[in-house]
Amino acid sequence: MDDVVIRTRNLSKEYVRDEFRVVALKNANIEIHRGEFIALMGPSGSGKSTLLHLAAAMDRPSGGDLEVMGSQLNSLSDSEIARWRNRHVGFVFQSFNLIPVLTALENVELPLKLTHLKKGERMQHAATALKLVGLDDRMGHFPRQLSGGQEQRVAIARAIVTDPDILLCDEPTGNLDARSASEVLTLLSRLNKEFGKTIVMVTHDPHAAHFATKVRYIDKGELLPEGQAPEDWKALPN
Amino acid sequence: MRFLTLIVKNCLRNRRRSFLTIFSLSISLCLLGVMAALYYALFFGAPPTAQARRAVTRHKVSIVFPMPIYYREQIRKVRGVEEVAIWQWYGGAYRDSRDQRNFFPRLAVEADRLFKIYLDYQIPDEQKQAFIRDPAGCILGRSLADRFNFKVGDKILIKGDIFPFDLDLTVRGIYSSEESNEDTLWFNFKYLENALRNSSRLAAGTFTILATDAADIPRISKEVDELFANAPAPTRTESEYSFGLSFLSFLGNIKVILMSICGAVTFTILLISANTMAMSVRERVREVGVLKTLGFQSSTIMGMILAESAIIALIGGVVGLSIAQVLCIGIRQGPAIVDQTKTLTIQPPVLLALLGLSMIIGISSAIVPAWNASRTNIIDALRFTD
Ligand SMILES: Nc1ncnc2c1ncn2[C@@H]1O[C@H](COP(=O)(O)OP(=O)(O)OP(=O)(O)O)[C@@H](O)[C@H]1O
Ligand SMILES: [Mg+2]
Repeated sequence: MDDVVIRTRNLSKEYVRDEFRVVALKNANIEIHRGEFIALMGPSGSGKSTLLHLAAAMDRPSGGDLEVMGSQLNSLSDSEIARWRNRHVGFVFQSFNLIPVLTALENVELPLKLTHLKKGERMQHAATALKLVGLDDRMGHFPRQLSGGQEQRVAIARAIVTDPDILLCDEPTGNLDARSASEVLTLLSRLNKEFGKTIVMVTHDPHAAHFATKVRYIDKGELLPEGQAPEDWKALPN
Repeated sequence: MRFLTLIVKNCLRNRRRSFLTIFSLSISLCLLGVMAALYYALFFGAPPTAQARRAVTRHKVSIVFPMPIYYREQIRKVRGVEEVAIWQWYGGAYRDSRDQRNFFPRLAVEADRLFKIYLDYQIPDEQKQAFIRDPAGCILGRSLADRFNFKVGDKILIKGDIFPFDLDLTVRGIYSSEESNEDTLWFNFKYLENALRNSSRLAAGTFTILATDAADIPRISKEVDELFANAPAPTRTESEYSFGLSFLSFLGNIKVILMSICGAVTFTILLISANTMAMSVRERVREVGVLKTLGFQSSTIMGMILAESAIIALIGGVVGLSIAQVLCIGIRQGPAIVDQTKTLTIQPPVLLALLGLSMIIGISSAIVPAWNASRTNIIDALRFTD
């Protein structure tokens, strides 16, 4: 059985803003297998987020093919994609992006509102997810009552509550202090090891990359072959 | 609906702003409510039950021309007429007539017939009988009596102007009514008869008719007018309700004024509400991106924003219309400007229409921001900073 979660062929993205054309991603070819925890690294502006957004079908590619979980995303309509994303993808942002008017529990419940689950089941699932990230004592708290690390763990709970096939994290520790960062990384690593979650994590932090099972580099929109880092990479202050 | 909690929480997101929006919406809807109630009462209102059976006959050319007294017997014979009474406008001056506050209608009426026609008048029986017996007696409406602090037994002097004699009246009773105005002084027609004995000036100003059945009034009116079509004093008969309205010569203007105020108010709240929603949605563009990332459809997001705005507008509507309904009660109890205000209320259909209007205002004011937000692509929405 094919255990490829994401497969891209010559995936490209260019942004056209007014007169300017920016090639954010050039002919990227990548296969991500079930159970992998990949760290995606590269300098700022190299196209890491772009690749992640394309994989989550939050944006449409300008060229090439993208196959996620066996679905050709190009052929789906916007509303089919939204439904597909709800079911198959969990996304974690650098800036947490919790809904401020909802409690931790309600934030985690939110994606389940798009499923057929009843209120009681939704609450139960959300509580389980919060417990998994170690925040079962913070369910009724609002985001502003939580620390950054706690907020990010709630965001991770929200991303995994639908039991997605793949977890995409865009610099999840970018806004966190070292201790909270390592809590979050330990959590992601646990999700990968214990629950077999496939994870792609964009990061600038070499320490963070240690938690991953594999590191891939992007430079100037080009995905470098496995095992290859940009030449000047080591020189970058991190 | 499973998104209701989120919608409600979004309404409460910025409490002060929501409160101010609801507040301004409710003031506007209160104003609209009272206007609509007035409009309805004046132009659509069915006459109150007792009044519905009454019609008034006057001189075809103008109300100031008198009609012969003997018309009454002929009108009485028209099929469906239960009772007819003569009215005569006396006019006159009470105290200093230059002071507008001393004005109130003074009318001569056949005392015994008044109560057979004004079925809605409430007056103690002994006062009624005292009035009928005393040729120099008069009765006053409750609010008129309160205004001048008149009591039963008081003397009232009215100086004549149209008529060449003064009135020296004794208050015999005070009536109240749920439907008719309480501002009239009625004095006994016998006073006129005695004062104008054998004079050609002894005539009827109008005849008030009580029909057995309200539905007969159009027919009765037609037959009465045909009766005197070729007489020296031709008549015009109509329901008392439209007769009352015909006094308000400014009514045509009122219609325009009411309509334009309502239009302006509606337009203003539309702008207020649109502005609020635009601000409130703008603050949330990022969250829209997050919701979409979680798998929310554009249409769901649009629906949620529209529902939020509709809820706020509906609350404003409910609050405003409740206040308006209370104001209507106040107006009902105050002095009657026209008889219609005695029963002023926001009718259920009008109430529903206005609640519908506030919903429409809420929804339409949010359409543009909701549409824009729901169409923004995820990446742009997530990058949005403000
Ligand atoms: N919505 C957009 N419109 C125009 N240009 C864009 C847009 N998003 C990204 N870009 C451009 O595409 C290139 C790649 O951007 P991307 O966000 O993928 O980089 P990144 O590797 O995630 O960088 P960082 O580490 O700073 O987050 C950049 O040059 C960026 O300016
Ligand atoms: Mg990025």
